Amino acid sequence: MPEDSRTIEMEVLRYRPEQDREPFYQTYEVPFENDWSVLQGLQYIKDDLDSSLSFRWSCRMAICGSCGLMIDGVPRLGCRTFLRNYHPRRLRVEALEHFPIERDLVIVADDFIDKLASIKPYLIPKQVRKLEQGEYLQTPDELERYRQFSTCINCMLCYAACPQYGLDADFTGPGILALMHRYNADSRDAGRDARMRLGHSDAGVWGCTAVAYCSEVCPKEVDPANAINQNKMGSAIDYFLRFLKPRGAEK
Amino acid sequence: MNTADDGRRPYLRPMRGWWKHNPYFLRYLAMEATSILIALYALILLFGLWRLHQGEAAYAAWLAMLQSPWSLALHAVLLPVFAFHSYSWFKIMPKTLPAIYWRGSKLEQAVITRAGIVAALVTNLAIVLVLVGLPS
Repeated sequence: MPEDSRTIEMEVLRYRPEQDREPFYQTYEVPFENDWSVLQGLQYIKDDLDSSLSFRWSCRMAICGSCGLMIDGVPRLGCRTFLRNYHPRRLRVEALEHFPIERDLVIVADDFIDKLASIKPYLIPKQVRKLEQGEYLQTPDELERYRQFSTCINCMLCYAACPQYGLDADFTGPGILALMHRYNADSRDAGRDARMRLGHSDAGVWGCTAVAYCSEVCPKEVDPANAINQNKMGSAIDYFLRFLKPRGAEK
Repeated sequence: MNTADDGRRPYLRPMRGWWKHNPYFLRYLAMEATSILIALYALILLFGLWRLHQGEAAYAAWLAMLQSPWSLALHAVLLPVFAFHSYSWFKIMPKTLPAIYWRGSKLEQAVITRAGIVAALVTNLAIVLVLVGLPS
């Protein structure tokens, strides 16, 4: 065995709907090397200890956003969290908070996917350009206005960090509201009014109470709390301005 | 989504005691809870304004009330509460602002927080100096 090979106890939340009434913890002894991620630990369990364990993963390099887990109660990507940082203590691995558990570490993401579509996450140009007119141009400064909010990988860690989402299933939630802001802030886009019908509501930016833990756990430094809360001022101004506009006025 | 014969039985974990799961949530609740005491103190000050409107004797009685042992004990409690709330308020402030650019680069959020705290300290110090300097 290599010199740096050690053993760690991984306490994993199991739930097998066909036989378990509710989730329970199962502990595995996992030998690991210094460069092993939590995801690699789970893969070792599945390959060598218990093939019935279910979890999602794909890229192993913090790009695909599939392996979001609660690791010692903190939402993290399994592939960029290392076992060595928990050794010699044991670590606890659970499915992402605030989502229903489908099986073991696999959550039901349907609500997230439905809400993602609801905010029209695509460019809605004011005037659609024909192919021969060329691309929609943008300056580096215009790109900078939304670039940070465009790096989301839909890993849902921010949803697992957001107690408001856990308490109120109608709340659109951090990642998707950040994506809404990303398109609204894009100089090539004219879909703000269509998106903000939802954005101005309690399910939108006003459902956020600025806990801001979403921004702490984001592996891509999107800062959803900033994307959401900077819209509250504009939303409040929109609300009061409509009392000043003549009835039936064009927007 | 979930029909009786598809074998699916998604399990939703209860939210009971969510705020105990992470020290971050405790700090958040402390921030929210201290705002109640801030509102209470605003009422005390508004009450003083109303007493001032009633005349000199009423205002003097309000001032005397502020100097009672109970009031001093309350202020001793409220001072750290205000300090914590101010800190938490400035900590969240950069989240509510669009990005600020200074000489071509984005201002870090910690800088905005520190600027707010320094402004609060300077303002409070200035008020204390004015009060101390006033002839009694």
